[in-house]
Amino acid sequence: MTIESKKDAGKLTLTITGRLDTVAAPKLEETLKESYDGVTELVFDLAKLEYISSAGLRVLLSAQKTMNKQGSMKVINVGEEIMEIFEITGFTDILNIG
Amino acid sequence: MIKKFGLTLGGLQQKILNLVLIFMLALMAVFSGVWFYQQTTLGTVVGDASSEQQKSIEKVSGDTMHQVIDGSMTKTNALQAYIADDMFSDVKTDVATLQSLATGLFEHMDSFEAHPFELPDPAKDGQFSAQVLYEEGVDYTKSEYLGVAAHMSETMIAMCKQSDYLDNCFIGLADGTILCVDDKSANKYDENGNLPNFLVRERPWYVGAESAGELWFSGIDADTYTDKIGIECAAPVYKDGKLIAVVGADLFLDAMGDYVNSASSQGGYIAVINNEGKVIFAPEGNGIFTVETSDNAKDIRKDENKELAGFVSKALNKQTGLTTVNINGKEYYMVGSPMNTVGWTVISFVDKNITEQPAQLMISEFQSINEDAADKFNDSMNHSKQTIFIMIAVLLILGSIGGLFVANRIVKPVEHMTKRIHEISGTDLAFEMDDIYRTGDEIEVLAQSFATLSKRTISYIEQITKITAEKERIGAELELATRIQADMLPNIFPPFPDRSEFDIYATMTPAKEVGGDFYDFFLIDDNHLGMVMADVSGKGVPAALFMMMSKILVNNFAMMGGSPAKVLEQTNAQICKNNDEEMFVTVWFGVLDIETGKVTAANAGHEYPIIKKANGEFELFKDKHGFVIGGMSGMKYKEYEFTLEKGGTLFLYTDGVAEATNAENQLFGTERMLAALNAEPEADPKKLLENMKKSVDEFVGDAPQFDDLTMLGVTLL
Repeated sequence: MTIESKKDAGKLTLTITGRLDTVAAPKLEETLKESYDGVTELVFDLAKLEYISSAGLRVLLSAQKTMNKQGSMKVINVGEEIMEIFEITGFTDILNIG
Repeated sequence: MIKKFGLTLGGLQQKILNLVLIFMLALMAVFSGVWFYQQTTLGTVVGDASSEQQKSIEKVSGDTMHQVIDGSMTKTNALQAYIADDMFSDVKTDVATLQSLATGLFEHMDSFEAHPFELPDPAKDGQFSAQVLYEEGVDYTKSEYLGVAAHMSETMIAMCKQSDYLDNCFIGLADGTILCVDDKSANKYDENGNLPNFLVRERPWYVGAESAGELWFSGIDADTYTDKIGIECAAPVYKDGKLIAVVGADLFLDAMGDYVNSASSQGGYIAVINNEGKVIFAPEGNGIFTVETSDNAKDIRKDENKELAGFVSKALNKQTGLTTVNINGKEYYMVGSPMNTVGWTVISFVDKNITEQPAQLMISEFQSINEDAADKFNDSMNHSKQTIFIMIAVLLILGSIGGLFVANRIVKPVEHMTKRIHEISGTDLAFEMDDIYRTGDEIEVLAQSFATLSKRTISYIEQITKITAEKERIGAELELATRIQADMLPNIFPPFPDRSEFDIYATMTPAKEVGGDFYDFFLIDDNHLGMVMADVSGKGVPAALFMMMSKILVNNFAMMGGSPAKVLEQTNAQICKNNDEEMFVTVWFGVLDIETGKVTAANAGHEYPIIKKANGEFELFKDKHGFVIGGMSGMKYKEYEFTLEKGGTLFLYTDGVAEATNAENQLFGTERMLAALNAEPEADPKKLLENMKKSVDEFVGDAPQFDDLTMLGVTLL
C-alpha cells in the first residue's frame, strides 16, 4: 500500500493505492496522526484502493471521529467492491461518501 | 589441507617455507652465476696471459738467440774462413816464391854448374829430402833441367820445415822428371823395391797449372802416397815463353776436415764449398751438403733449392749475414764467409730448431709451470666449488630449518586459534586471549578481535536467549489464549445431542495465533436458538480481548431475552462506553424459532447470510445493515425476519472466507463461495463447511492466509 499526501491550506487529500489490510492500516494511522494538525477538510481518494479490511475500516472510523471534532471528512472515488464493503459494514451510514 | 611429516601442505607454513626456499634458490642461482662468470673470466685471463707470456718468451728468446747466433756464428765463421784462407794464402805465397825462384834459376841456368840430385833414399825416411822421380823411358841422369832445379833443394826443404801447413813441395820438369821434397822417401818404392812410373806431365797439378798459365789450385784430391785428402797448389815456370817446369805443393786438409767434422758435435755444422760450387768438406749426416769426388760433385749454385743456391753463390763472393734458409721444410741458420785466396767459402749452419731449443725448453718449462699453476688454480677452484656446494647445502638445510621454525612460529598460534575456534560450540563460547597469541603482529590483533567477537557473541547470545525466552513465553501465552479463545467457542459437536430438529456445525481457523473472529450459538430457551457470527477489527491479543468482551456481552444480552436489534444496541452501548482504541466488531445475530423455522435477525456491519430453501440452492440474502458495533455510540439496528424451511440451511461466515486471496491477488468472492456450497447443497453442515474449507484452500494455494476463516452452518431437519 502507498499513501500519497497532498495538502492545500486546511485541506488534506490522501490518495491510497493497493490493499489497506491489517498490515497496512497502522501505517495509514501513523500518517494521519502526524497530519491532523490544522486540517479542517480531510479527503480520502480511494480510486486505486483494491481492498479494505476491518483494520482499515477502523482507521477510517477513527479519522471520521477526529474530523468530527475539527472539521469535515469526505471519501471520494469509491470503487464498487469497496463500496460493497462500506455497505455491508454500515460505513455508508457514517461516512460522507462523494 | 593435508598434513604430512608435521607440515601442513598448502598451508601458510609450507608457503613461508616455499618463499624462503625460492629466495635462497634465487640467491644461489645469482651466486653460482657470478661464481661461474668469475671462474670463466679468470680462466680466460689466465689462459690469455699464459699464451701472451709464451709468445713474448718465444719472441724475446728467438730475437736473443738470433742475435747471439748472428753475432757468434758470423764472427766464428768469418774467423774460420780467415784462418783457412790464411793457410791457402801461405801455401800460395810459398808456391809463388818457388815459382819466382825457379824462373830466376832457369833464366840464368847457363851461368852456374848443375847441382847434384838423387833418387829417393829410404834411409832418409822421416826427414825432409829432395828426391828425383821420372816418367818411364826418360833418362833422368841426362836431364839438363834437374841440375838447375836441384839448386832449389835446400830452399824447398827449409820451406817444408818452416811451414805449418806444407809437408811437401815439388818441381815437375817439362822433360818428364820431377824433384820432390818430403819426409816419406821410403814410400816411393813399391813392394818390389822398384820406383813406379811417375807420369810427371800428366799429373793434374801439372796439367792444371799449364792450362791455367798462372798459379792454380786443384780440387780436393787424395795424395798419391799417403791417401790423405788435400789440394794441390801449382804454378808454371816459363823460360823464353816456353813452359819449363811446374812448381807446386800439396796442402793436406785433414786438419780442416777434422775441424769441420768436430764442429758437428756442437749441434752446428761447417761446410767448405769451392769456387766451382762443389762441396769440399762437410761432416757426415748433416742433411744438406754431401762430399763427392771432384768429378761427381754437383754445383750447389745450380741446386734445385734456389734459396740454397742463391745463398751459396752469395757466400762465395762476400761475407753473408745470418740467413735463414729453408731446406726440405726445415729451417737453418746459415752464415757464409768467402776464402778470398782460393775463391771458396766456409758455411756454418745450424738447424734453427736447435737454436730454438732453449726457447722451446724455456717455453715448455714455462708451460709446465703454467699448467702446474692452472692445475693448482683448478684444484683450488674445485675445492672452492666443493666448499661452495657444501655451503649451499648447509645454507639450504639451515634455511629450511629456519623457514620451518619461522613458519611454525607464525602458524602455531594460527593453528591453536583454529583449533580453539573449532572447539567453540554449545555453551563453550569463550575465546580468551592466550600467551601464544601475543606475537605482537596481526595474529595478536586477530586473536584480540576474536576475543572481542567472542565476548560480544556471548552477550548477544545471552540477549537473544532472553528475548527468545520472552518471545517463547509470549508465544506460549498466546497459544494458551488461542486455546482459551477456542474453548470459549462451542466446539463439541453435536452440541445438543438430544435435539434432533436441527443440525448445527461451526469452525474457526485463525490466521494468527489469536484471531478476532468468533461464532456462537446457544439455546435461549427450548424453542429458540441464538446464533452469532462476528468479526473484530484488527488481529491478535487486542482483537481477542475485544472479541471475548463482545461475545460475552452479546450472549448475556441475548439470554436476557431481548430482540436481536435490542441485543446489538445494548452491546454497542456497552462497548462504546470504554472504547478509546476505537475498535469495532461486525456482528450478525439471529434467533431461530426451532418449531416454525422463523429467524429474527439483526446485522451490525456483517456479511450477508447465505440461505438455502428446501431442495433449493444456496443464495445470498441481502439483509438490512446497521453500523458496526463499537464504532459509534447510540446506534440503532433494524431487525428483519425470514423463514428457514425444513431441509433448508443457513450459512454464516466472516469476511475471511469471501475475501480469501490467492497469489494473483484475486478475492475468493461470493460467487465461488456459492459454487462451493452448491457443489453438494444437500450435505450436512459439517460436510458443507469442509467443502468450503477445501475450496478456499485450493483457491488460495500457497498464498498466505490473512484473515480468520470462520463459518457456521445450521440445517433444519
